[in-house]
Amino acid sequence: MDHARIVFGLVALAAALALPYYAGPFWTGLATQMLIFGLLALSVDLLLGHAGLFSLTHASFFAVSAYTVAILQVRYGVSTALAAPAGICAGTLLALVFGLAVRTRGVYFILITIAFGFVVWGVAHRWSSFTGGDNGVTNVPFPALGGLAVTSHTQYYYLVLAAVVACGLGYRVLIRSPFGLGLRGIKASESRMRSLGFRTGLHLYAAFVLSGALASFAGVLYVYYNKFVNPVAASFPISVEAALMAIIGGTGTIIGPFIGSGIVLGLRNWVSSFFELHLAVMGAVFIAAVLWAPDGLVGLAGRLRARMERAKEAGRP
Amino acid sequence: MSAAALEVSALAKVFGGLAAVNGVELTVPAGERRVLIGPNGAGKTTLFHCITGTLAPSSGTIALFGRDVTRLPEHRRTALGMGRTFQITNVFPELTMAENLALAILGTDRRKWVMHRSLAAFAAVRRQALEGLERVGLAGRADEPVKRVSYGERRQLELALALNTSPKVLFLDEPCAGLSPAERQRISRMIAGLPRDITLLMIEHDMDVALGLADRVTVLHQGRVILEGTPDEVRANSEVRDVYFGHA
Repeated sequence: MDHARIVFGLVALAAALALPYYAGPFWTGLATQMLIFGLLALSVDLLLGHAGLFSLTHASFFAVSAYTVAILQVRYGVSTALAAPAGICAGTLLALVFGLAVRTRGVYFILITIAFGFVVWGVAHRWSSFTGGDNGVTNVPFPALGGLAVTSHTQYYYLVLAAVVACGLGYRVLIRSPFGLGLRGIKASESRMRSLGFRTGLHLYAAFVLSGALASFAGVLYVYYNKFVNPVAASFPISVEAALMAIIGGTGTIIGPFIGSGIVLGLRNWVSSFFELHLAVMGAVFIAAVLWAPDGLVGLAGRLRARMERAKEAGRP
Repeated sequence: MSAAALEVSALAKVFGGLAAVNGVELTVPAGERRVLIGPNGAGKTTLFHCITGTLAPSSGTIALFGRDVTRLPEHRRTALGMGRTFQITNVFPELTMAENLALAILGTDRRKWVMHRSLAAFAAVRRQALEGLERVGLAGRADEPVKRVSYGERRQLELALALNTSPKVLFLDEPCAGLSPAERQRISRMIAGLPRDITLLMIEHDMDVALGLADRVTVLHQGRVILEGTPDEVRANSEVRDVYFGHA
């Protein structure tokens, strides 16, 4: 089992490394987006899949970070070495404030995060003297660190791939740590966790801030890829889509949000080329996922495998 | 004289217009085994919830070893030595038995905040979890997800969780609820075998179990303490018989 997983991981990594050579610039660009939005979905899933909190404000951290980088680089000529960390810090600072949402649970948590998300979108949209309004901030250069500069989308793809693999490995340690187990405990029974001595509110707050920091990092990767940022990055549909990606791929897993991101972005690209109401198609996909694969494609694969194993055993004399 | 393990005074909890707990006075010396009995709706579980911090009392005070804990949140009371089980099994079904135990061990331990190391690296936690399972007769089931074990085993796990928060005062809310006679015996033997330095408060409906384990018994009725005494005194008391069986 674990062997199969390692082999699968290595094959996937090899396929990802070779992608620009066999797939061409269009697919490489789409793969870059899939990785970036998969990372955003992964950050949402730290709360959704592990702690049981459904946040709909993660576009805020993503966008605040992207705007910070864009404004610093374009308007003030700040270097990547300062702008990128500043972006992560700005998004994380916002998460420190929005984290107060963990004082609520269930539908109230969802509602308050939606409200937070609209505040950030509103600011991006309306405060045009600072954010550029609907046009946003354009002409963001590729990242450069001293003499090392990214000069092509293919190079940037490799940078994003390396960043995502590093985040995935770090995330794996986090969810397997005592802290990560604590999150799953809170998801299963918060009342029991309190009686065992956990300060559950603080535990969730810490998870919220970490999750916001990861979303901010995704925002940094996004703005250097996209070359511009406008209020769409902060909009409600981005938050919904990130959650959708995690759910379709499989919550509580690492690979799931990336699979979900691939499906959502792939479908959107394909369907929107011939059908104007592609949002309706995405809605249908979401409904289908909730009805028939509530634990996502990763969960569906697991159930199919279990069924096949049972059938094999039943067939044995 | 040192302070009692638990001292509850004038405790009340009002829901709407109903006083579920209505001026309870309760003093339990360290090391004693106290059983709370009373008919359904007497306020036993509500009293437990107030003492352990699951519910905030409407009025009154609670002291643990002489320290006022009335306003402390639940997790602080656990850190000070209160441990509890729930009448309705409250474990983590999605996790394995060993992970359940690990949470109980980590709850009162700073290592619960460790984010940069896998739990698997903490050999001591694993060892302690296995010991904790063995202590309640669940050895060999460590890596079984809890959702796949029987109700009886979950009740054993419920007890193991409370025991592994290193409690000084243990609150057991009907530990044998819903179990078969054989399982009840197992659990009550386990409870009887607990070290005597743990002060024990237990809600129990089964009079035989209750009176067999108790040093002293407190009888609750309609949110008040109507009697406190040794098991023999309680058995002999006519008021208790009236409460349980109605007037002749």
